[in-house]
Amino acid sequence: MTSYFIRHLQVFFATLGDMARSPAATVNTVLIIAISMLLPCLLYVFVKSSESLSETWQGRPQISVFLQKDVDDSAAQLIFQEIQLHPDIELAEFVSPEQALEEFRLLSNSATYEQELAFLGSNPLPPSIVLMPNKAAARSAPLEALKNQLSKIEGIETIRLDLAWTERFSAILAVITRAGTLLSILLGLALVLIVGNTIKLLIHNRRDEIEISKLVGGTNSFVRRPFLYYGSALGFLGACTTLLLLLVTSGLIEDPLSTLASMYQQQSLLHKLTVQEAVFILLTGTLLGWLAARWSVALHLWRIRPQ
Amino acid sequence: MIRFSHINKRYPNGHEALKDVTFDIEAGEMVFLAGHSGAGKSTLFKLLTRIERPTSGQLFIDQQNITRLSDSKTPMLRREIGVIFQDHKLLMDRTVFDNVALPLIVIGMPHDEIKKRVRAALGKVGLSGKESQKPITLSGGEQQRVGIARAVINRPNILLADEPTGNLDEALSNEIIDIFADFNQVGVTVMIATHDLRQVERLNKRTLHLEQGELIGDYQRSPVSQGGDND
Repeated sequence: MTSYFIRHLQVFFATLGDMARSPAATVNTVLIIAISMLLPCLLYVFVKSSESLSETWQGRPQISVFLQKDVDDSAAQLIFQEIQLHPDIELAEFVSPEQALEEFRLLSNSATYEQELAFLGSNPLPPSIVLMPNKAAARSAPLEALKNQLSKIEGIETIRLDLAWTERFSAILAVITRAGTLLSILLGLALVLIVGNTIKLLIHNRRDEIEISKLVGGTNSFVRRPFLYYGSALGFLGACTTLLLLLVTSGLIEDPLSTLASMYQQQSLLHKLTVQEAVFILLTGTLLGWLAARWSVALHLWRIRPQ
Repeated sequence: MIRFSHINKRYPNGHEALKDVTFDIEAGEMVFLAGHSGAGKSTLFKLLTRIERPTSGQLFIDQQNITRLSDSKTPMLRREIGVIFQDHKLLMDRTVFDNVALPLIVIGMPHDEIKKRVRAALGKVGLSGKESQKPITLSGGEQQRVGIARAVINRPNILLADEPTGNLDEALSNEIIDIFADFNQVGVTVMIATHDLRQVERLNKRTLHLEQGELIGDYQRSPVSQGGDND
């Protein structure tokens, strides 16, 4: 058992030594791996960030119900109560014309606001009710039904559904996620091919060593081991570089993104990688490198026999 | 120790390298394998180390029938046999130490033990202090000694040498063959393939004579018969 570990340790350090002996080739391969892994990772961060964005919208459509302008306060309250009691509605908020005007004032700059108000003479805004349907009702078909029911209530002018936008948004996210998954698979495949080819060249360069090792009694697994270590180490280093590049790109994009977010009164949007995600990326890189080496060794190593 | 029983070897290209070869070598013997190049000496060694398989016949090493040995057992067999190759088969980009240590690294020996053994083996072949040199910087005779040190490092019971004196002058050849004789003295079974009849006569050991794949002679030269030859 100890000799087994000693053998592995010897090979591990020998592998590091081999890599250090040809730094240019090693760096080259590691960078190729890092870049092929970076693209799916960036997409992942993008999708995650966008998801957090739609989560702050709570992922549910809003319904704005505008009452007729001549409805008086008590009638408006009656309509509000009726809507509040509807079983499909989780939250309802009454917005009086004064509140609406205040909100308008906050959103526009003060100079133009005064002018606009002076021009209009009086508050032009109708009372309105903002609704959030419950989860079960937050799909297009039940929402249309809900809209129809609400429109039958006396005193309602128009009902606006914010449905289209959120649906479109999550549909776009779904497309990006699917495309990202496909891209990741393709890039993973490319990565296996690249590392596999590197290992193939390595096997070729070490023909003599393999042959002589077999002649002095090296088993197949002994001969194979350095190449598996080499592939895994390349994958691991590639994944480390990916993490580093992710950190750099995140840093570069953070500033303009938070400027953008502040315009929409949002907290920072950028998804920060968790420790688990970082570990997952490292493991994936290492595993892909190992797989590539395993595949390459299976293809090429048996051909080398002592003569 | 080594028993060939009606061994035939035909290569895929139709060349018959060995024809019905039968002989028996006792443990602790030292045997020369004589014959011109192409007589089948190298093929015979390749069968012993399982680089090639016999076409027919039975081959025993240490009572074990290796004609039926599975591929996964081949490394174990090779660990029991030290082989010296005509072309040395050294790794030119590695140090002498790494080259000699290889059979021990293969079996996962701890580094301290490897160090001790490599030093001892290099001492035995007269290469002390050359551990960190590359074989390419050594002379032909020295490279051959590195090969010998590697072959004996794992203390094998059998030592096979294929034309170990191939390109060496007489004095160097004598030295190399004497190293093998020393190992034979301590009980190692030694088999040396050579076309160098000087060495065969000098050591006066049992000789197997191959010609075109056939064993045409198996004789122990005695001082008397040697004298007869000179007449």
